[in-house]
Amino acid sequence: MSIDWITVAAQIANFLVLVWLLRRFLYRPILDGIDAREAEIAKRMQAAVTAKEQAEAAQTEYQNKVQALHVAQSEMTETIRKKAEEQRDALLAAAREKMDAEHSAWQAHLDAKARDYAAKLHGAGAAALLSLTRKALGDLADESLEARMAHHLVQQIKPMAKDLIGAAGQAAGAVITSHSPLPPATQDALTAELRTIMPDVSLRFEVDAQQAPGLVLRLGGAQVEWTTDSYIDGLDAMIIDQLTKNSDTKVHSHGD
Amino acid sequence: MNLSPDQTIMFNAWGLPINATIFYTWIVMALLTVVSILITRNLRADVPPNRWRTTLEVIVQGIQGQIEEISGGPSRHLLYYAGTLFLFVAVSNLLLVVPGFEPPTSSLSTTTALALSVLIAVPMFGISSRGLCGYLKTYIEPSFIMLPFNIIAEFSRGISLAIRLYGNIMSGAVIAAILLTVAPFFFPVVMDALGLLTGMIQAYIFAILATVYISSATASSAKVEKDIP
Repeated sequence: MSIDWITVAAQIANFLVLVWLLRRFLYRPILDGIDAREAEIAKRMQAAVTAKEQAEAAQTEYQNKVQALHVAQSEMTETIRKKAEEQRDALLAAAREKMDAEHSAWQAHLDAKARDYAAKLHGAGAAALLSLTRKALGDLADESLEARMAHHLVQQIKPMAKDLIGAAGQAAGAVITSHSPLPPATQDALTAELRTIMPDVSLRFEVDAQQAPGLVLRLGGAQVEWTTDSYIDGLDAMIIDQLTKNSDTKVHSHGD
Repeated sequence: MNLSPDQTIMFNAWGLPINATIFYTWIVMALLTVVSILITRNLRADVPPNRWRTTLEVIVQGIQGQIEEISGGPSRHLLYYAGTLFLFVAVSNLLLVVPGFEPPTSSLSTTTALALSVLIAVPMFGISSRGLCGYLKTYIEPSFIMLPFNIIAEFSRGISLAIRLYGNIMSGAVIAAILLTVAPFFFPVVMDALGLLTGMIQAYIFAILATVYISSATASSAKVEKDIP
């Protein structure tokens, strides 16, 4: 065991060279690489943090937009609903008005139909009644309907002669109109009867085809009528009265 | 049987005899340098490190961590010095298993050289850290009476370092050689494995002690007082 001082010196030199070599090729590259990588990692982490913040900001903005859209959607839905309700109400009101109008028109049509039917019934009834009455009077009593109606008219006028003369005022002529020309005998009999009641009044006979069968006496502003229409009007009133009584009875019976 | 590789002349260069200690030292130096160059070339920060670079990073950062634990802070110059000490001694000792290789650390000249380098490095680091006066002042602390003892302690550190490393490595190599002669089939293998462990431990101890000496020389007086129980 001995120390070779030349070798010692050489080994010191070798060691110093090795320190330099390792510093140049090992420590510095490795440590600088680690530092650079740490800096790169820090940079990337910072970039990631920035990106995350941007993403969070974008998310917040998106959520706000979504919230605003939801609010706008709700408002729009509410507006549309209100408009729809208004439009529905308007349509319903228009439909109701239209239905009322159609109902009124239909009711008017029904009334017109009813009136028309009643008029036809009235006419047909009057014609049938007149025909039957005329035939019955002719066959059974050898009497004409016009003569009996003229006699009846005179009987009606008698109680109201004073009123009739008062209503006639200064008029000096009376007019008797009929649906068909009166037989001369009937005219004479009627003239004779009326002269006993109103001796100062001249009498004139006219024919009006539009008039219902019967007689109408016009004296100035007064008028006395005895026609099948007035008779059937009275008959209608009686029938309606009877029908009303029957319906009340039915209602009461149903109510019971 | 040569106990020291200093006595083995490998070849002559420029008229100077190159012994085995220097020759194998150059091999270790070349190995460390070439491996470092091969691994650390084309380093880029944006490219993930490969396994070799990671291995080197682990080694360098391990050494740096040990130094920071002892010295209390990062010091690249101390890393260059103590790290090189560790790597040189460790690789030299690990190459013990290579047939025909004689570790330079089994030469007392090498260990003496390394101990002398520590002996020189301690005041150099101390002066660079504290200044000349501040460093020389540590020799008369806590009293000027301690000056001779401090000087003796300084030299005894170097001697103990040199003898410890030399004794361990040389003894391991000598024992392995003796056992190879006596029982060539089994015991040399066991001793070589034990020598690897011992070599690594010695490399660690040598580098740690050098770091401790240098750190104690560079530490501030307040920290030194604080460290003393």
